[in-house]
Amino acid sequence: MSNLAVLPIIIPLFAGILVAFFHNKLSIARFISKVLILINLAVTAYIASVVFESGSIILETGSWPAPYGIIFVADPLSILLVVTTNILSVACLFIAPKLVSDQKESYYFYTFTFLLISGVSGAFLTGDLFNLFVFFEVLLMASYGLIVLGGNKTQLRESLKYVLINLFSSVVFVTTVAFLYAVVGTVNMAHIAERVQEVDQQGILTTIGIVLFFVFATKAALFPLYYWMPHSYIVPNPVVSALFGALLTKVGIYSILRIYTLIFDINMDMTKTFFIVIAGLSMIFGVIGALSTTNIKLLIAYNVIPSIGFILLGLALFNESGLSGSVYYLIHDMIIKAALFLIVGVIAYGAGTSDLRKMGGLIHEYPKLGWILFVAAFVLAGIPPFSGFIGKLLLLEGAFQSDHVIIAIVGLLTSLLILYSVMKIFIYGFWGEKKENFVKKQMTGMLFPIVFLLFFSVLLGVGAEFIYPYIETTANYLLDPEIYINSVLKE
Amino acid sequence: MEFIICILAGILFATGIYNLLQKQLLRIAIGTGLVSHAAHLFILTMGKLKRGQPPVIQEGVTQYTDPLPHALILTSIVISFGVTSVVLVLAYRTIKENNTDNMDQLRGTEYE
Amino acid sequence: MIFAVLAPLFIALFVPSIGKLKDKIHTGVFVFFVPFAIFLYFLQFIGTNFTPLSQTYNWIPSLHINFDLYLDGLSLLFVLLISGIGSLVVLYSIFYLDRSERLGQFYVYLLMFMSAMLGIVLSNNVFILYTFWELTSISSFLLIGYWHFKERSRYGALKSMLITIFGGLSMFGGFILLSVITETTNIQTMIERTDLILNSEYLPLALGFILLGAFTKSAQFPFHIWLPDAMEAPTPVSAYLHSATMVKAGLYLVARFFPIFSNYEWFFIIVSIFGIITLCWGSYMAVRQTDLKAILAYSTISQLGMIMAMLGFGTNIAIFAAVFHILNHATFKGSLFMVAGIVDVQTGTRDIRKLGKLFTLMPITATLALFGTFSMAGFPLPFLNGFYSKELFFESTIGLQAGSSSISAILASIIPYLAVIGSIFTFVYSMYLFFGVFGGKKTKEVSLPSKPKEPRIGMLISPIILVLGVITIGLIPNSFNQTFLAHAAASISPTANVETIAFWHGLSTPFIMSLIVVLIGTILALTRKSWATIYNIFPGRLSFNHVYDSSIKSLDKLSNKTTNTYMTGSLRLYMIIILGALVTFSFIFMYNTDGFSIDFTDLASITTIEIVVVIAITVAAIGTLFSNHNVAAILILGITGYGVAILFVLYRAPDLALTQLVIETITMALFLLCFYHFPRLTKRNESKSTITFNLIVSIGFGLLMTMIGISALSSTWFDKISEYFIETSLPVGGGKNIVNVILVDMRGIDTLFEIAVLGLAGLAVFGLIKVRNNKEAK
Repeated sequence: MSNLAVLPIIIPLFAGILVAFFHNKLSIARFISKVLILINLAVTAYIASVVFESGSIILETGSWPAPYGIIFVADPLSILLVVTTNILSVACLFIAPKLVSDQKESYYFYTFTFLLISGVSGAFLTGDLFNLFVFFEVLLMASYGLIVLGGNKTQLRESLKYVLINLFSSVVFVTTVAFLYAVVGTVNMAHIAERVQEVDQQGILTTIGIVLFFVFATKAALFPLYYWMPHSYIVPNPVVSALFGALLTKVGIYSILRIYTLIFDINMDMTKTFFIVIAGLSMIFGVIGALSTTNIKLLIAYNVIPSIGFILLGLALFNESGLSGSVYYLIHDMIIKAALFLIVGVIAYGAGTSDLRKMGGLIHEYPKLGWILFVAAFVLAGIPPFSGFIGKLLLLEGAFQSDHVIIAIVGLLTSLLILYSVMKIFIYGFWGEKKENFVKKQMTGMLFPIVFLLFFSVLLGVGAEFIYPYIETTANYLLDPEIYINSVLKE
Repeated sequence: MEFIICILAGILFATGIYNLLQKQLLRIAIGTGLVSHAAHLFILTMGKLKRGQPPVIQEGVTQYTDPLPHALILTSIVISFGVTSVVLVLAYRTIKENNTDNMDQLRGTEYE
Repeated sequence: MIFAVLAPLFIALFVPSIGKLKDKIHTGVFVFFVPFAIFLYFLQFIGTNFTPLSQTYNWIPSLHINFDLYLDGLSLLFVLLISGIGSLVVLYSIFYLDRSERLGQFYVYLLMFMSAMLGIVLSNNVFILYTFWELTSISSFLLIGYWHFKERSRYGALKSMLITIFGGLSMFGGFILLSVITETTNIQTMIERTDLILNSEYLPLALGFILLGAFTKSAQFPFHIWLPDAMEAPTPVSAYLHSATMVKAGLYLVARFFPIFSNYEWFFIIVSIFGIITLCWGSYMAVRQTDLKAILAYSTISQLGMIMAMLGFGTNIAIFAAVFHILNHATFKGSLFMVAGIVDVQTGTRDIRKLGKLFTLMPITATLALFGTFSMAGFPLPFLNGFYSKELFFESTIGLQAGSSSISAILASIIPYLAVIGSIFTFVYSMYLFFGVFGGKKTKEVSLPSKPKEPRIGMLISPIILVLGVITIGLIPNSFNQTFLAHAAASISPTANVETIAFWHGLSTPFIMSLIVVLIGTILALTRKSWATIYNIFPGRLSFNHVYDSSIKSLDKLSNKTTNTYMTGSLRLYMIIILGALVTFSFIFMYNTDGFSIDFTDLASITTIEIVVVIAITVAAIGTLFSNHNVAAILILGITGYGVAILFVLYRAPDLALTQLVIETITMALFLLCFYHFPRLTKRNESKSTITFNLIVSIGFGLLMTMIGISALSSTWFDKISEYFIETSLPVGGGKNIVNVILVDMRGIDTLFEIAVLGLAGLAVFGLIKVRNNKEAK
């Protein structure tokens, strides 16, 4: 019992409120934002060290004992994700003054961003299903604020679709929570898990689980529910795209990971097969989408889908390698997606267009940017020694161990096509001759935050020895839901 | 009675979805209203209906209706209100900017 | 050893800064010492009493990924090739590349490659091997694209990367399989556990995965197509990567895993077939080329095929010959590439149709080429190393032990013939290459961009050294045997050994085969013009290039088409797909798990007033569909809202009812505010099918929700936690209104963030309205 677990949620909340007062004094708002996000990163890192040293931190809010009150659970999985969230938020907030126009910044950009971080962290940390819904709404509302910021035609058009789809899935979510409440009489996740196990997940429970899966899968942009995602992720500012691409879909897949390791039985043949098929189709259709476009932002947005597929695959395999792979991939993907969205944002800014057909020869003007993209492409495709490699290795190992050969082959092919799709940007955008009406832009300070993110990607790969034990702990922890249930209910 | 409310909520969902599938933005907005109502009715019903007095502690009353769904619905109503207002203003602005309220003309795959 | 592997990579970090001095000293001068030092270091291991050496450095021990280095005969052969040829190539490049080029980048890539290649051949850990393997693909990509302003360079770079990384990933899959089967990542340990692999049901898959990696890297038919296009790279690169080292990585891989797979019959069948086809196809295609480097590229393909075939045969003599030929090929082909580079620089063209009679103008270069080409042709002269390995090759094709299946029997009987055919064409293109450039009757100088003369001596040093190698090996083959080659062969297959390599061993079958090759080859070479039309009838462009090009193109096109069919931007379509999937699969799951249940006990009573309200709401809800007037539609929506509020009253939820009334009223106002002035609702004129679809989806969803709701109510198996709230509300929470206590205390966090949501909504609306105002002000 420690109040630590609530800090990653409260600090950004207050930060968001605080910067709202300075929306007309941007220099102060920027400064506060940078300082507070660094503080938050430090705090979460500290919490993580506590969690891995002495086990999950459970906070019963208002001292109402579980399962009655709302609880926060800083367990290995959630705290790893919260730390990652803060790492990429640091990069986003440091690059924001360069990439976001002053006007947008002054319309509460920082408040929305902090509330987004708060909502995401809350979603990771909460141990209460209804409270998860509330945090979903917080992060969604913050994302609505961010996506409409600027208000041009296309942006409004795509925002509207984005909001409507999310509204719908939220409504289904809250209804499903009610259904579960009717059956098991509780909304505390550990308590639900305990009771669902007690009745062997009989009767309507499996169906409720599947509806819940669809709710989260819609947010996670899995096949065939991702249609809303690519177009709406590219209309806002690149920094916003980076936050969306790195965080929003990941919250969805995290929720799937959570409820299917904790509450519902993933080892049911039908569910397992269903998930593996969905994972495979997400990989294939995602990468097909990425190959279909010459808009570099869209290309990266489509690449979000296969990675969610990879993460789902690890869950479906549900063995140590597979789950470690999922967790590794989840963290790796949050960082590299943020980096890639920022990179293409900077490229589009530097080239004056996001259409690949109108680019060329950028390496002459922006050599550093080119090499950053080059490295990022290999990170994304899982080429060793970068972070994607370890995740992919574990996932494929898991697939072969449980005799799922076809999905492993699909995974390998997908990696190749992912690499191809991103290398296209390098080959056609950076190589070749410069285009005629090209104007060089200033890029000071834009690359550092991206390099900061790539540093972590490389660290995750090269320094896997330091990171992997945490991942392994997390995977084993997820394999045994009893630990979670006991830590929440039997204290 | 619970089952009847379930059916009613189902009908609200169905009509709501049917409205969501329309082209005109107003109809879509109306659809969002309907599905929220449906969700709230479901939550209420899931705590079972008419099982006691309103959940305000009174001397001598032992049976109260399930208070938790009420609390959840309250939270949910407020949140849906927030979302609905954003949807409405967003719809308003979209129509103004794009000069149409027809979703078919708001498809668009071109950017910038 | 790890220093040797990582040194080039490490030094590469400093090359850009050295590169800045390029006006004074050519960057290559510094770089030269790196491979040369490595070469000298490994030279000490040569000797008759060589024993394998292994070292381990931890990297990721928890995943069993460590720098396990292992130096055996096979590795030593490759290490010496890499560092030796590497030194010569760097030396050559100093004179080949002008200082105006981006030398820093060039040498960074080259050093990166050197590290990667050394890593491949020294790794004893499959995943480290894979890491370096991909690094060679990447550096090769960068080197091919070095002159990236050329369209062909970009094309070639992308092609080579796609094909080799495709193979790399496949090999990666194979490695994972092997490591899962044997529970180790160490190659030597895997070899010890061969039985596990041979008994595994995944054996064919593992073999296929790994061979795919090897075949793509070593440009085996039909994956050879990337190699000719890789010739866009600067010539030193072609000599180094695409002839002497990187393309041999595939051979290395097959050799390394030979002990595991050699007992599996399909290994013999597949590797032999692909090898021998590549030999024939490569040499056949080489004759048809007009670009010097393209001829050499196809010739490389064909030679690689030959070595691959020998590895497939797997007999003692074949293994030895394969090892021997790896060495020989590096010497003569390396020198030939350098000669091609010299000709290119000196004459300004590589088009063999424009070249001719250079012998008199460039006698030294021509002499070097003479040795190179004739050695390549396997001409029976005692000072040409190519002849020895060609003889051994012929010898290995005869009397192959046919396996049990009929395929291998047939294969064994036709291989000698195919070997001869392939060698005939090899002979032809060798002659074509030499006489086309240096011989010939006509003087074609006129058509040349510049007047050819001998190059600077520096450029000749490297090819001279290589040609000396050709001659030395030819003259004293046996001094290389026991000290060096025997170890390499033994590490592939312990019994593989050839006592003495002799020039003359009687009028044996192999020698007769050689004679046939020379005879028919000469005739064909002399009459090349008259039969070359065969290439028009039997088009070389049946080619797999075409397959690659069209598949890349159709990949882009097809993905574009597929994506555009569903990514239409239509909200309705997105919703239908999402709902359709949700409803369909939920029903499937419900059906299969017997989810639906209905239980009429324990239900609340039904009263008239409730029924009236329910009917009113139903009518209103359906009414929204048919209303064609803005205000009317909004008001009808209001009726449902107020109806719900009445239900809240009836179901004893006073707080809810109040909130609902207030919120509903405000919402109505907002609705009217936003939509009053907007385009009127029009009649919904939709097609029948649209209506049906919409109906199915919406009714399906409503039905699903109702059914789950009913089932959930019929399976209330547990006590609700709300009992606790009722008990503790007053004593602990201090409030009589339980709902309020829950909201502000027990679930206070919900409420806190609910307020946050409202606040955010306010800001979002503010932003939406404000940003417009600014615009209008402008």
